[in-house]
Amino acid sequence: MTLPEGPKGPPQPDLSPLVAAVDGAHSSESLVQATRALALALATPPSGPTALTAEMDNAIRTLVGVMGFNNPGAAVAAVDGLMACGPAAVEPLLEGLDNHNYGARAWAVRALAGIGDGRGLDLLEEALQGDIGPSVRRAAARGLGQLRLETLEPESRAPVWNRCLGALERGSQDDEWVVRYAVVVGLESLGHSPHGPRPAPSALLDCLERLAQPAQEAIPVVRLRAQLALDRLGPP
Amino acid sequence: MEPETPPPGNAEPISEAEALRRLRQSEDQSLQYYGAWWLGRMRSRHPDTVPLLCQALRQRQPRDAGAGVEHNAVARNAARALGKLADQRAVGDLLDALEDEDDGLREAAARALGDLGAAAAVIPLCRRLASGPSVAGAPQINSPKLQEPCEALIEALGDIGVATPAVLKVIEPFLEHDRPLIRSAATRAMLQLTGEPRWGDLLVTLLSHPQLQVRRAALMDLGAVGWRPALGAISGTLAENSLKLIALRGLVEKGPGEPDTEAVLLAMDELL
Repeated sequence: MTLPEGPKGPPQPDLSPLVAAVDGAHSSESLVQATRALALALATPPSGPTALTAEMDNAIRTLVGVMGFNNPGAAVAAVDGLMACGPAAVEPLLEGLDNHNYGARAWAVRALAGIGDGRGLDLLEEALQGDIGPSVRRAAARGLGQLRLETLEPESRAPVWNRCLGALERGSQDDEWVVRYAVVVGLESLGHSPHGPRPAPSALLDCLERLAQPAQEAIPVVRLRAQLALDRLGPP
Repeated sequence: MEPETPPPGNAEPISEAEALRRLRQSEDQSLQYYGAWWLGRMRSRHPDTVPLLCQALRQRQPRDAGAGVEHNAVARNAARALGKLADQRAVGDLLDALEDEDDGLREAAARALGDLGAAAAVIPLCRRLASGPSVAGAPQINSPKLQEPCEALIEALGDIGVATPAVLKVIEPFLEHDRPLIRSAATRAMLQLTGEPRWGDLLVTLLSHPQLQVRRAALMDLGAVGWRPALGAISGTLAENSLKLIALRGLVEKGPGEPDTEAVLLAMDELL
């Protein structure tokens, strides 16, 4: 989904019929269509600055609910819509988290990872360290590399950056190759973070070095990605 | 190629010594089952591992429907583990298992022999398939299974990689099998054995098959071959990102070719 840019977006459509269409969808395909329509409407900002209306909040919560329906097509559309909403989606995502539905949790972590809001940090940390689903840990690792530090108070940027690094360092010991792969990607983006320390601290580079060594990392694709990250972060 | 799944239940972390102990005892088969799985999953290099797994592979047991365990569960899991351990000492016992009357065990043995690249298995694999789609590939009565585990047998021939005219002739008729999963396996094997792009192109068309199960199989097959021209089509397939990531890992590790490795890695990043 691409976000229309600039102040001259079309006026925001009335959301309530779109919400009703999602609530009333009676087939897998109609749920996908209705979710896409609602996500697109939410991603289309009206002209001029707007406050979060109750109607928008309700629509966001509807998208959060869709992630629990075990319908991947609809969930993808919901994640896209929530990411486009940005910070407004963070509270509903955190409140709507279902600890017993790990499919839904994976989608929520993906959305929070994409939004990059600091309020998601606790959840991403926790998910990478302890979630039972590798797809959840994978999304969390990626998200820990792309928190938007510029949205935080300047004095809390360094501590948050360090917490992300610590979580990724622990995640580099994960049993699943795909999670370690995502840790590498997270470490690289953390290293490029515009409000992080420059040059990238040796702790971050050391972790990538370990993941690039055959003696320490058995899976070739993880080592290749770690080497690419080191190359792109430049000489220490 | 099957995605790895842990056995149900009983999934607390254990040590290698504990896994060996579980496999060595024979009172409780569910413990043996887990022990065999663990040793394969963790790529155990302990000197007792392969001999114990071979012994477990020789163990037959009746189906216990009440326990929810498959027929010859321990033997099948032992075969799968031996496939992961890449130790040629297992070939003899796996060839014996390929002649077992239990088709599920034959399937596991065939996959393991493919993993081991065991050239000695080519003749027995071809013999099982030689009667073609109408006999070896015919459905069993009252069962979704075929007479032979054709998918596994064909994939093993592709993995082993002996590309003689006789082997190609055995596989070719399965390109026209009624079931898309068998066609996918045969196409994958032809691609591995001949390297001809038309087989890769054919697998790519299966990525847009209406059945999810077929799309998943084509993803795994393209990954197993490492067919890099499929990169864009894999990224866009309607299937779980987890499976697309496994397929793209195959493109990176089994490559080579175009697009280059960096392009495949960056496509993986987008799926995390």
